[in-house]
Amino acid sequence: MKSVPAGNLRAGIVRGASAALLLGAVAVGALWSLSTGGRSDVGFGDLFRPDDLARTVLSDIRAPRTLAAACLGINLGIAGLALQAITRNPLASPAILGINQGAALGLALAFVLPIFGAVGPELMAILGAFGAGVLTFAIAGGFGGRMDAMRLILGGVAVGAFSYAVVRFTFTLEDDIARSVVRWTVGDITDIRWDATLRLSAWSIPGIIAAMILSQRFNLVALGQDAARGLGADPRVTLLLGTVLAAVLAGVSVSVAGPISFTGLVVPHLARFLFGGDHRILVPAVAGLGAALMLLADALSKVLTAPIEAPIGAIAALIGAPWFLWLAVRAKGFE
Amino acid sequence: MKRLICAVALMFGILSTSAVARDIAHELGTTTVPDAPERIVVLEFSFIDALASVGVAPVGIADDNRRDRVIAEYTEIIGDEWVSVGTRKTPSLEVIASLSPDLIIADKNRHSEAFGTFSEIAPTIVLDSLGGDYHASVEQMTIIGEAIGKPEEMATRVAAHKAKMADYVAQIKPKAAGVSAQFGVTNANGLWLHSPVSYNGSLLEMFGFASGMSPDGEGGLYEKTYVPTTLEQLSEVNPDILIFGEYADPSHVDSWSGETLYEGLTAVEAGKVFNVTAHNWSRLRGMLAAELTAADIVEIMGKIE
Repeated sequence: MKSVPAGNLRAGIVRGASAALLLGAVAVGALWSLSTGGRSDVGFGDLFRPDDLARTVLSDIRAPRTLAAACLGINLGIAGLALQAITRNPLASPAILGINQGAALGLALAFVLPIFGAVGPELMAILGAFGAGVLTFAIAGGFGGRMDAMRLILGGVAVGAFSYAVVRFTFTLEDDIARSVVRWTVGDITDIRWDATLRLSAWSIPGIIAAMILSQRFNLVALGQDAARGLGADPRVTLLLGTVLAAVLAGVSVSVAGPISFTGLVVPHLARFLFGGDHRILVPAVAGLGAALMLLADALSKVLTAPIEAPIGAIAALIGAPWFLWLAVRAKGFE
Repeated sequence: MKRLICAVALMFGILSTSAVARDIAHELGTTTVPDAPERIVVLEFSFIDALASVGVAPVGIADDNRRDRVIAEYTEIIGDEWVSVGTRKTPSLEVIASLSPDLIIADKNRHSEAFGTFSEIAPTIVLDSLGGDYHASVEQMTIIGEAIGKPEEMATRVAAHKAKMADYVAQIKPKAAGVSAQFGVTNANGLWLHSPVSYNGSLLEMFGFASGMSPDGEGGLYEKTYVPTTLEQLSEVNPDILIFGEYADPSHVDSWSGETLYEGLTAVEAGKVFNVTAHNWSRLRGMLAAELTAADIVEIMGKIE
């Protein structure tokens, strides 16, 4: 029985090293994101001894954008983790289950119909995201207690396509509305400022805490419907709570930055690969990985197509899509 | 004898009908157009400018479904009998065909792919209106003059335009020495600067203004005509004079008001930020359009003094 503590020790070392690597990646991503931008004369060196101009650029323009990128990664990663946990489906993510598109639909309605406009764009995005999630789960039979994997994905695709069709329809209504709505079709934080960043970050920490509280329920769902019920956690309640959490985090993210695909799908997979299947560890790991990935995407969005900045949503898809393909080719993920 | 005269007359008649068509070289090849087309459809605003400058009214205009996008300076000449054929981006083939045109003038960027379809409806010439600069737009005037069978009238108008612009240049250039000026359009979501290779950029250059736009900070030029620009990027361009065309109120640029970086711009500090009619500057091209732009710049320079 000697090998067990040795195995634990090895696992502990691997886990510790992964965590250190993760923190390092977040730090490198943040520094890279902060040291690139529209002004070529404000660079890495200015982070440590900025003059007046560099201080203004860093504090007014770059800091809110860098923090927004990190918060987007946290929110979308946690939302994806919650969705994959409650559906027990590795393909679940805010984009694939139609939740991002539902949020965009909520926003479009807020702009087009004054009656919804009074509700406010942020709440409309959350309501749209929640509505889309509930509809997708209903199609998949989730509230009856047995979620069908194929129907879940097909339902998500259908709900997403329908929501997006309505969003695109509003383009044709009026030029000025079209210009407001088009912002919600691609994830972009190019000219974001502190007010929007604070709205976004206000949900990130509560999101992590809520996910930590739910993490034991997520673990029980992973054991299967009957086992979970036997251990006192009705999977339908977990499903509802997880949907609310994912809808709030995805909805707020879409209302600030527009829909970003793949982050919510890829980050939980990567976290499971590095840290195993325990959601009590996965929640902080996903938060760190999501932040690191989006910080990297933000820095790349300023560098790749310089001097013109690319939308962060496009870069996130560029990073995430190959991973998705790998997942599909490996096929194990579909079991 | 009578029969001979008839034969000769007939022959001349045949010769002259075969001479009524002429070949026009354009962006996508050479098209044979009728000598004096009477039912012309135009798919960009600069082509209205060309027709109006020699007093010809098109039967169909891609006016983006908004008749007021054809400004009063044009309707005074061409009237308002034209039929809207839809947006410039996706004009309606059905409406164009229903007008049974004898000449279609299309844009290289927007309509190259539909050239074949347009050509089935009527002889079509394609010119680079959207992507071309000011000098190219004046050169296109001569091509259009030949295509519509009014080369002499067009040559006269072009000469008059060049003289008028030379007069504007003489007024503006002495004041523009060592001064940088930048034009951009802004809607609710962003700012797009018109680079030195754009239509407006080339006009400002002709008037003697420098441009601060340099992506590598070493005088390299943008390849793109319209460059999406953040406040941070604008602070590096930092021109002496900023000219904005606003498509929304409040615009994205308005939202920068009060930010340290914006208030610190040279042009903002010196009160040299000017608003012009976005439509006239950004969408219109041609001779009358350029003269309107030049008059705006003269007015701006007058305010600076």
